[in-house]
Formats: sequence, C-alpha cells, structure tokens
Amino acid sequence: MNVTTAQTSPSLTHYTLSASVLHISFVHFSSCINFGQSYASIAVIGKEGHASCIANEDGERQIACAISYNGEEVYIGNGAKPQLVKNGNNTIIGFRNLLGHTYDEVDHTAVFGAPLIPTSETPAYTVDVLVTPPAPSAPSTRAGSTAPSGAATPAPREPEATKKTISVPEVTTLFLSTLFQSASDFLGVSPTGTVISCPAWFSAEQREALKSAAAKAGIPVLQILEETAAVLVGYRVGLTQEREERALLGQPEEGHKGEREDRDKTVVVVDLGETSLNVAVCKTGEGEYVKLAQGRELNLGGKSFDDLLCQHFAKEFTKKTKVALTIPCTESSSQADKRAEAKLRLAVEHTKRSLSASSGAATCAVESLKDGMDLSGSINRMRFDGLAASVYRKVADKAKAVITEAGLDICQIDEVLLAGASTLFPGLSAHLSLVFPPTTPVTSALDPAEVIAIGCALQALHLSELPAELKVEDVLKLAESPVDTTAAPIGIVVPGQSNDDLLNAVVVPSGLALPVRRRVEIPVAQGTEKVAFEVWEGKDEVKVDIVEKAEKTADDEEDEYSDEEDEPEEVRTPITKKTTLLAGLELALTDKSAKSVLFEVVVRKGGKVDLRLWQSGKESEAAVASI
Amino acid sequence: MASVVTLPFQLTAPPAEWSKPSSTGKISAPVKRTLYAAGPSYISAARRQLLNRTFEQDDEATHEHRQAQVEKAQAEKGEELYPGLGEEVEDPALLKMDAKEWKKQDHYAVLGLGDYRYTATEDQIRVAHRRKVLRHHPDKKASGSSGTNDDSFFKCIQKAFETLLNPETRRQFDSVDRAIEDFVPNAKSVKPEEYCDVYGPIFAREARFSKKQPVPSFGAMDATKQEVEAFYDFWYNFDSWRSFEALDKEVNEGSDSRDEKRYMEKKNKAERARLKKEDNTRLREMVDMVLASDPRIKRFRAEEKAARDAKKGAAAGGKGKPLTLAQKKAEEAKKAEEAKKAAEEAKVKEAEEKAVTNIVSESNYFQPEGTTPSASTVEKQLTELDTLFELLEVDESRELKDVVEKAGKGDVARDAIKAKASVAAGRGGQFEQFA
Repeated sequence: MNVTTAQTSPSLTHYTLSASVLHISFVHFSSCINFGQSYASIAVIGKEGHASCIANEDGERQIACAISYNGEEVYIGNGAKPQLVKNGNNTIIGFRNLLGHTYDEVDHTAVFGAPLIPTSETPAYTVDVLVTPPAPSAPSTRAGSTAPSGAATPAPREPEATKKTISVPEVTTLFLSTLFQSASDFLGVSPTGTVISCPAWFSAEQREALKSAAAKAGIPVLQILEETAAVLVGYRVGLTQEREERALLGQPEEGHKGEREDRDKTVVVVDLGETSLNVAVCKTGEGEYVKLAQGRELNLGGKSFDDLLCQHFAKEFTKKTKVALTIPCTESSSQADKRAEAKLRLAVEHTKRSLSASSGAATCAVESLKDGMDLSGSINRMRFDGLAASVYRKVADKAKAVITEAGLDICQIDEVLLAGASTLFPGLSAHLSLVFPPTTPVTSALDPAEVIAIGCALQALHLSELPAELKVEDVLKLAESPVDTTAAPIGIVVPGQSNDDLLNAVVVPSGLALPVRRRVEIPVAQGTEKVAFEVWEGKDEVKVDIVEKAEKTADDEEDEYSDEEDEPEEVRTPITKKTTLLAGLELALTDKSAKSVLFEVVVRKGGKVDLRLWQSGKESEAAVASI
Repeated sequence: MASVVTLPFQLTAPPAEWSKPSSTGKISAPVKRTLYAAGPSYISAARRQLLNRTFEQDDEATHEHRQAQVEKAQAEKGEELYPGLGEEVEDPALLKMDAKEWKKQDHYAVLGLGDYRYTATEDQIRVAHRRKVLRHHPDKKASGSSGTNDDSFFKCIQKAFETLLNPETRRQFDSVDRAIEDFVPNAKSVKPEEYCDVYGPIFAREARFSKKQPVPSFGAMDATKQEVEAFYDFWYNFDSWRSFEALDKEVNEGSDSRDEKRYMEKKNKAERARLKKEDNTRLREMVDMVLASDPRIKRFRAEEKAARDAKKGAAAGGKGKPLTLAQKKAEEAKKAEEAKKAAEEAKVKEAEEKAVTNIVSESNYFQPEGTTPSASTVEKQLTELDTLFELLEVDESRELKDVVEKAGKGDVARDAIKAKASVAAGRGGQFEQFA
C-alpha cells in the first residue's frame, strides 16, 4: 500500500463512508459518506428514493480529509487544508490508509503535515494545542470576596501550550463523526444505518479498524463496502430497466450500448483517486457482481497531475523571476522550498479543477511564492493534456494489464466506468475511448467524484429494505468466501443455421455466480411446426480480421493525407466457439400462431443444468432436459 | 423475476437430417470467484439461499410481495384523504355571510365539517380548509365568471380555520356550539326498555366536555351493577372543561376608558362563572333525574332484596323458600296483636303499680308512725316497686294488687310485697327495702 504518498501530500484518494437509513412512516432517509484519503463526500437517499450527494454545512461536496490543530481551535475539513502552509506540523492528513497498521508497517517520512510518532503499535500524531487548564476545584478563600456566594472571583486563566497525542483511529473517529453529523443535520434525524466504503486492497484488519473507528463515532455501520462495488451499485449495472430509466448509460461512438443496457456484461471500473489508481474487471450478471481481476497502481492519481502542474508552474516561475525553485521537495529541501510547494499545491488544485470544468485556460496565481516573488500563470487544456499524456497512458496501460490478467481481451469489455474525481479530466476519458473499441462506452454519467458515495447510499437503502426474515449479517456473510461461478459460456446452436463452429447465441455467459437462471425468447418463423436446437458449452475467443484499409479509403478524400493508408487494420471481435455438446431440445408447436418460444437455462450450485423450452403461454407443455 | 432477452434470429423447422443428439457431455466444473456483497440482485440471491427457495418459489414470493405493495400503494392513492370533505354543496346563506360577524358564524359549517363538529381531527380541519381555500380564493373568484371580488367568505374560512386550529379557541367554540342539541327528555316519561337507547347518546354527547377521557359508556340494559355504579360515580365526579368565554359581551373597542373595560371584564367573568355553575347544576340534575328512574337501578334493588329475603328464609329454617304473601300477612297480624296486648298489659300494670304505691305511701312507707320517711328510703322503695312490677307477670301483679288492697295499710301489705319481691329476685331483680 502506498502510505508515503498518503502522508506526504494533500492527497485525494477516497474513503467512502457509508450510508444510513431510517424509516419514517413510508419514507426512507438514507445517507452515505464517501470518505477518501484526501476528500470525503456524503450522499443521502431522498424522499423519492434517489441518492444524491449533499454539501456539508460549509457548502462543500468534496470535504477535505484533514484535521488541523491551531491553538485552541480545531479545523476539520476544507478549513484545515490552508493550515498546511504555516501550521503543517499540527495538521493531520492522509490518515485513512494508516488504519489497521502498526507504526513499523507504515512509511513515516512526512514532508507536509504532522509527522507520525513512534509510539506503541498504533500510528499516532503529536500536535501542539492550547488547553485552558481546568478551574481549581475548591474556591481558594471565602474572605475578601464581594460576591454574595462568598466564592472567590476566578482569575482569568491563560491557555497553556501542551502536546496532544492522537492516534490514527482517533483521528478517523473524529473526522467521521463530523461527516455523520452533517448527514444527520441534513436529514433532520440521525440515520439508523450506514455503509462505509473502503478501497479494494484494504485488508480484513483495516476494514475492522475502519468499522470500529466509525462505531466509536456513533455511526451505525451496516457494511464496509468496496469502492468498486459501490461504483457498480451506483450505476445499477446489469439492472436493465432501472439503468435505462435513470439515464445512466454511457455514450459510445458506435453501437447500441448507449441505448440499452445488456443483462450480462463485462465491465472495467477505473477508479483514479488522488494517490492511487484502482482498476477492477467485473462480470455483472443481471446485477450480481463477480470480480474477475483487479490491480492497483501506486503514485498514480490526482497527485500526479498536481506534480505535473507544480513542476510546470515552478519552471515558469523560475524562468520569470530567476528564483530557483525545485519541486517536488524532499525531506532535505529547504524550508522556503517546502512552504512554496505547499502554497503552490493549494493553488494548483484550483487550476486543476478549472481545467476539468471548462475548456478555456486555467490560471494559477500565488502571492509571494518564494523570496517575496509572486507567481501568475495560466495553462490551457491542450497544454495540460500534453503534460499529462504520460499519466493518461499509464492509466490505460494499467487497465489493459488488469484485463489481460483476467484472461480477457480489450474487445471483450462491454463498458468502462469512471470513478474518482481525477477521472474528471476530459483528456483522460478521451484517451480511454481511443484505447477501447468504439462500441465500448467510457461512462461518467454520474459525477465520478460522487458515484461511490451514491453507490454506498443505494446499498444502505437496499440493506435497509431487507425482508424481515433476513438479517444484514447473514446476507453479507454469504460473500465472505469466494463462490462458485460458471466456468464457460453456455449457448445454443441451431442446426442448419450455425456457421463454422460458433454458438448462435450465448445464454449463460461465464463468470456468473451460481445458481443462475437465464431466460431467452427466440422468435419462430411463421408456420413452423417443430423447432429444435442443440445446447453447447462454449469458449470465448477473439477473432482477428485484417482489413486492408487502402481500398476503403480510396474514395474518402480526407484520408488521402493519412499516413496509415497502407497499414492493414486489425479488427478484433469477440466470438464464442462451441466445445462440448450438452443436450438437444425439440418442441412441437401446438399453437400455430405462436411467434416465439421461451428457453430457460438454470445452472444449479453443484453444476447441474436444467433446460426448459416452451411456447409462450404454455409453460406446462415444456420440453425438459437435465444434465 | 426473470428478465427475458429476445435473441436476434428466427427458429425454423430443423433440417431433415438433424436428429436429437443422444450422447451428452457435462459442463466444466465451476470456478471459485469473489462476489461483491452489493446490489439488489445480490440481496435477492442471498434471500433465495438463506430461505432455501428455488427460483420459482422466490418468483412467486416476490410477485406476491410486489402485488401486495402495489395494492397498498393503490389503496393509499385511491383512497384520497377524507374523500368529499369540504366539497359539499354550500348553503347560499352561508356564502353571503359577513366576515365582520365571524364571531357568530358556525366555524364547522363554514369549513364543511358540519357532520363532524367536535369529532373533527386536526388533519380533517386542515384538509377541509385547503379544499375550501382552493374553491373560494379571491384570486379565483376575480378571474371567474362572476367577476366579483368579494372575499368575505374567504375571510370567514380563514377565521374559522384559525379558531378551530387553536385548541383553546376551539374548546371555547365547542363549549357553546349551538348546533349540537342539548335537549334531555324527562326520565319519567321514558319507557324502561328504551331507557338506554335514549340516554346513551345524550351522555355520549355530554362526555365531550370531560377532561378525563375515555368516559365510561351508559351501557346496555343488562349492564352489571359495577358498570352502572362506575358510570354514575364518574358522572357525579364529572370534571368539565366547558367554559363560556365565547358568550362574553364585547368590550367597546372604541372606548379608551380603562374603568369601562375593567368593568366589562369583571362582568364577563362573573357571567362566565355563573354560566359554568349553571351548567354544572344542569348536569347534576340530569344525572340525578336519570339515576332516579334508571330501570337498572330498580332491578338491582329488587334483586338485592330478594337475595336478602332468601337468606332470611333460609335462616328461619324453612326450605329457604321465601314466605308467601298470606303467611306474611298472618305473621304481621300476629305481631300487631302481640304488640297491642303488650301495650294493654303495660297499662294495667301501671294502674296496679299506682294502687300499690298509694298504699305504700299511706302506710308511711312502712316506717314507724309519726316519723317522716327519709327521701332516699322513699325513692328506693318506689324504684323497687317499679322493678317489681316490671318483672312480675300480669296475673302475679294483679294478685299482689288485690292482696295489698285487701290488706290496706300495714305490715300485711309489706309482707305481700316482700313475698312477690322474692319471686322477682329470682328473675334478676334486686331488692333492699322489700328484701
């Protein structure tokens, strides 16, 4: 895990703190907090059952995960971030990833923010605070007082500077309780259940630590949910009707996937946080999500963009003012450099946001960056994309690597879902769209910065609506250990219609959790008296066609200037070859006017397969086979 | 529910050479993979697994559940809150009401709650008000066909709503609600079998003033003694919130005189107290009247008496049967005769005693001649004579008188008395002078 980054930068990973639900008459109130490494967000379920991200009392939707002690004051959230510049030693940032670890396990070099102290087992911070000493318990003297009570007038007490040690779980508790308070304030009632998200790579101890920290903050935790799962729930992947109704579909350049949601899909979730990239490949069988592969790239995230921007502006600054400024700083850097970097990082964040929000040039201005010299510069999107191209490429490469790890080809991916505020750059999604086939949508229909929080809120809603005879713990327990999934696709081969050795249609794809049931409707040509087909197990493969482009482009004038004219293009299409014959099915059509037949495949837990074929409306006269 | 996907090709009759394959293979062994515990479909799968349902059973259960939910939603939607409330045809006289006279208006009638009155809930008042406002808002009228801009009735509605929404003013209005009849029929003219039907609703009506709720009901004819007693106990300890502020005479607003205001206030207060007292008396009298001729109370009395008599009969050694009327009469006659006799005997005895006393006094209380008997002796002798005659039987006393009269003055009489006294001493008398 990447603890160094977590500590050394005002980083932007996400912690997702979960959702809470309360039933009031017939209305659900649900809230969810997405608690990231550097930013957190809160989502609630409104009266209509829609999840939405809410702003805290400061009006912030993205709440910085920072706590700063300044004298008697404690700043929590976005107010704590500017403290990094002058009060870095008393400002705690990047604490989430340290949860559930011992001091020795984590990297404890800190450039910004409060340093970890080598105490006991739990990582902890020591901060300087001013504490007003408690009033003396007994009045010193009765005599000489003019008060009717005879009590001595208390002497005004000066707050005294002391050291305060606060451990990571305590910091987390403190921070989560403020988030929970915001949710309660918004809802008007304290939510009764909460789902908290955590990164996929969180170990069991870390999840436990997060859960207990939340419990200490008085949050009723229903579940610690993986961010990937939260994204899938947030987009309602595989829930055909719901997803279409809510207009959550991505828009690919070609194909039908922008109009309708497929039942079974293979989805890549690209979660680019502030400090790390997390890619997961999942099978989404009608809303049941199975993990095929996942990967994590450290030191790749919003911080990489910050670094690039900082370096860019530092260079510009040095060029303009002739003041040397080396960024990024190391521990041995001068104090002036460190402060300059802290200032620049704060400023650059705004630049980054305006870059992703608007297409014009974004400015960056810092007063007295170093040696009393000001910085003022701007950068436009194209320039930035040029700077960030390497980062984009790394993201795409990682995604490709994880897909390969899952044993898939890039053309077999049905959709790419974006999560994490750093994926907001249009340049990144444009780059990904180029990497994936044009029929694969790169979706950011939900705000990537909010999607995890929204997913958690929905999950909390679902858990709160469990039937009375089910308990949340029992339900969640079922997924604790890996479950049986289909190993290969099952499909049908129609005699006389199949070409080569391919399946005509896949009914049950591979990677679906068992037991699984799939139903298809097959149109029947008019006047047919009997239908029959074979059921086969298949194998997913990729067909590569080489298309000579030269012929095609001949009548396209624009392409005359293209260099690729002569290069043949590879067209990759996913296919399913038949491997094992499972059964044959026949059905005599009694109703001549029938326009279709229904076919059902049920794969039971032990691998037993039940097949049924019937005419619509005549389920009792089904042709049945069992394997 | 199983979703159905339509495949993009058509089935036709299989080619003639095709035959159903006989040998079949198995599917590859399942692969273990991590499942995310998230999403509604996961929860459905968990439900099937935990409750041991097959797909079909689960379909059925979910279908039923959904059906129930839809029906519930429809029931909620279809059953508009308080249908028809505040949508009745309004009395034209009501619509022409002057808003200035709002104190005299029937607030319930204005809001269309005439049938509910004091039973109307706050929700009903709000709903009725909203519907009335929608109908009578001045903006609507101005644009309507009539073209008038008379918002008088709208003001009445607002006043009625204000009054009824505030619990205090609503109670004041309910206290003097003239639309609720307060007629109480005379208990004597009510047939016993109709008694409960007549007075039950009347008491239910009066019960609205009770601070203590719920109020025991009048009950039916076959109510137990405890129930009836509890009912009357409650009404004799009735704590009413009824008050009469609504009947206050208005203080002349134009007047600046504090004295006048105070005077009016004082008068109003006194009037309120008087009315309250009157109301309490009215209620008391009503309860008295109803109690007095309550057939149930009569029934209880008769039953109690019968029970007592039965007990008595049993104690007298009879078969426990109550005595017949003739027997009773005979007994009574006998008793009267005995009493008469005793009285006569007492009279006779008194006369005899007098005679004996005369003789005793003539004999100088049996003291030697010429001496005056001491007062104490005289008194003792007289007292002892009284006792003596009380204890003697009639014939004995007559005998004594005869003997004493025959003997006249002297010791013979004394001896006779002494002789009788010794008899009487055996019956408990104590004699000194005549010992």
